[in-house]
Amino acid sequence: MNVLASDNIDKIGTAVRKKDPPYYIENPIESKRVERFLEAFAAVLHFSDYKALLDSYCTSNAKCNRCAVTCPVFIATGDPRDIPCYRTNLLLDVYKRYFTIGGWVKSRLTNSFELTNAVIDEMLDVFYRCTACRRCTQECPMGVDHGLLTRLGRYVLSLIGIVPKALQVSVREQLEGKTHNTSKIPKEALLDTLGFLAEEMEDNLGIKLEFPVDKPGRDFVFFCAVSDYLLEPDTLMGNAAVLYASGDWDRWTIGSGNYDGINYGLFYSDWHLENIIKQLVGEVTRLQGKRILIGECGHASRAAHDFVPVFGGREAYPVLSFMEYTLDCLERGKIRLDPNIVTERVTYHDPCNIARSGWIVQQPRRILKSFVKDFVEMEPHGDRNYCCGGGGGLVSVDEIHEYRMEIGGKVKADQIMRTGAEIVIAPCANCKKQLKELVEYYELPCRVMGLHDLILKAIVIPGGKSPEERKEEAALMEM
Amino acid sequence: MEGWIDFAKGPLFTVTFLIMILGLGRLVVIQLHLLIAGKGRRLRNAPWKKIATETMSWVFPVRHLIRGTVFFSLASILFHVGAIIVPVFLADHVVLWEDFLKIDLPSIGRGAADFFTLLTITCLFLLLAWRTFVGRVRSMSRAIDYVLLLLILLPFSSGFLASHPGVNPFPWEVMMLIHLLSAEVLFVLVPFTKLAHVVLFAFDRISALHWQLRPGSGDKVADALFGNEARV
Repeated sequence: MNVLASDNIDKIGTAVRKKDPPYYIENPIESKRVERFLEAFAAVLHFSDYKALLDSYCTSNAKCNRCAVTCPVFIATGDPRDIPCYRTNLLLDVYKRYFTIGGWVKSRLTNSFELTNAVIDEMLDVFYRCTACRRCTQECPMGVDHGLLTRLGRYVLSLIGIVPKALQVSVREQLEGKTHNTSKIPKEALLDTLGFLAEEMEDNLGIKLEFPVDKPGRDFVFFCAVSDYLLEPDTLMGNAAVLYASGDWDRWTIGSGNYDGINYGLFYSDWHLENIIKQLVGEVTRLQGKRILIGECGHASRAAHDFVPVFGGREAYPVLSFMEYTLDCLERGKIRLDPNIVTERVTYHDPCNIARSGWIVQQPRRILKSFVKDFVEMEPHGDRNYCCGGGGGLVSVDEIHEYRMEIGGKVKADQIMRTGAEIVIAPCANCKKQLKELVEYYELPCRVMGLHDLILKAIVIPGGKSPEERKEEAALMEM
Repeated sequence: MEGWIDFAKGPLFTVTFLIMILGLGRLVVIQLHLLIAGKGRRLRNAPWKKIATETMSWVFPVRHLIRGTVFFSLASILFHVGAIIVPVFLADHVVLWEDFLKIDLPSIGRGAADFFTLLTITCLFLLLAWRTFVGRVRSMSRAIDYVLLLLILLPFSSGFLASHPGVNPFPWEVMMLIHLLSAEVLFVLVPFTKLAHVVLFAFDRISALHWQLRPGSGDKVADALFGNEARV
């Protein structure tokens, strides 16, 4: 890691950046952007409670640059504009100048900062170069939460129409579309997929089952990243296998009214965050469920875990990550994992939203170490792990694929390479997509899968085929 | 000159010290008000234990000596050690606190005071060098960042020279006046600059509270800006 790559750079702006927005914007506004930005910022300050942190950060921000050496984006580019503190100051400068008395006085006495179209263009660029991983916040002596500030900057930008089209279109479908999910999967397709998964499980595991849909009064209402229904059948079958083997098959259900745990509002908008949470809570209420069970997805888990208590009102159902549930089953002896099945070297990628910004660090490790013979950690790991490079919603923006590979994910690719692992476990839909692309891009000699994909291989299914039998069958299929 | 020194030690000290205390008090009250009035019951959702652990980890920040910043971090930690010990526990200052604040603090010996003063001065030069010669730090720095370092250097260096006539090329009165005035300028600047972290430090690690967003605020913002127009 060349953390001193930019030491010969004297001023901001020496690196060349494209002038056009790096991502598609649905209806870009060309006129009165400055006025609209300030109007939107004023509304956010008036109705939300961001003033405390802005006041605090404006006063104590030290600009010491410790954050730079922790930021995977800056490490990859060495461009001072990728220093978290620089990005944060873009927004703090606007706040100080237009929303504080000191800024007003200074503007009358000196040629101080002015918000211009060029500054908005720069925000539009840098706020979506950040993966909102919040690694920098851990090492900021002043505790400046650059991830939160980036999110606030994105929120204000979104209010003047500046938001990646990929996120906007997905969220619109989730909140206002017929399917109520980001991948536009209709209920019929969901039911078909569940039927297909049941058939696969019968073939592979030797058990006959039917996925529970719209069953009222169940303990768990299950939400995963909806893209898992299309792209990650093994993760879902792993989830189902745990529920079946633990004897809890009659305790859970999927809701056909809303089956998407994704919440892009976490990355750019309070309004979207709150309304998606309310939609999720509404589905649990409709089904008279007792708890929310979130599948393998970092940001979906964090959004539900942290914001159901905030926006859920009186119906703030308890939220459980599937990894917590599986660990509980394992430690109570409700499931068994065969330690002789997985012989490859395995490493674990900590999704930022559940490790650094969350509460899931040791749980998956305890599960993995119970049945994986050769487990190796990445360095650093746990709450200090590096982002996959597609966090903060970036992984859904296809047009910045090259950026995610060359810059956002460069440090992560190096980190994976150093482990020598053959299997990388990433219990998050976003991380999995990004890491699979990274593995392909850098031709890394490993496979990426979810935690429950691996569990699916080793779990002992009562009345079903044994893990050894399944392993032999899988080997024959590959030949 | 004696009259100026007495003035700086007396009324000017009182006024500037009060400006600092009241200014810092104002910052704390504003923070508490914005948090309590703004967040209310949502404060109960916050991970208080994690906040306390993180805050304490920065009181003794040894686990934060990370690659690429070890030099800066060590200089910064040692600077803070000296910058707290010398102004508060130097024997001459202890007398001042006793007269002014009526509090009786233990004092450090002359040798320890010299050691910590020189340590602080050395670290200040290192921090200045870090800001001046490391490109990425220089690119972010503004005039005030340099000015504050130099201003902090003044009371430490002038105090040291005033108490060591053998190495002081200037009259004692001049050094003492510079010492007093520069410290008093700092008192005034503390609440209005990043030096305010002497108290805002307690609010540094509370971003988990800031993530407790206000329910309904998104709707109100959208209503104010768009009325009934589409929002997604």
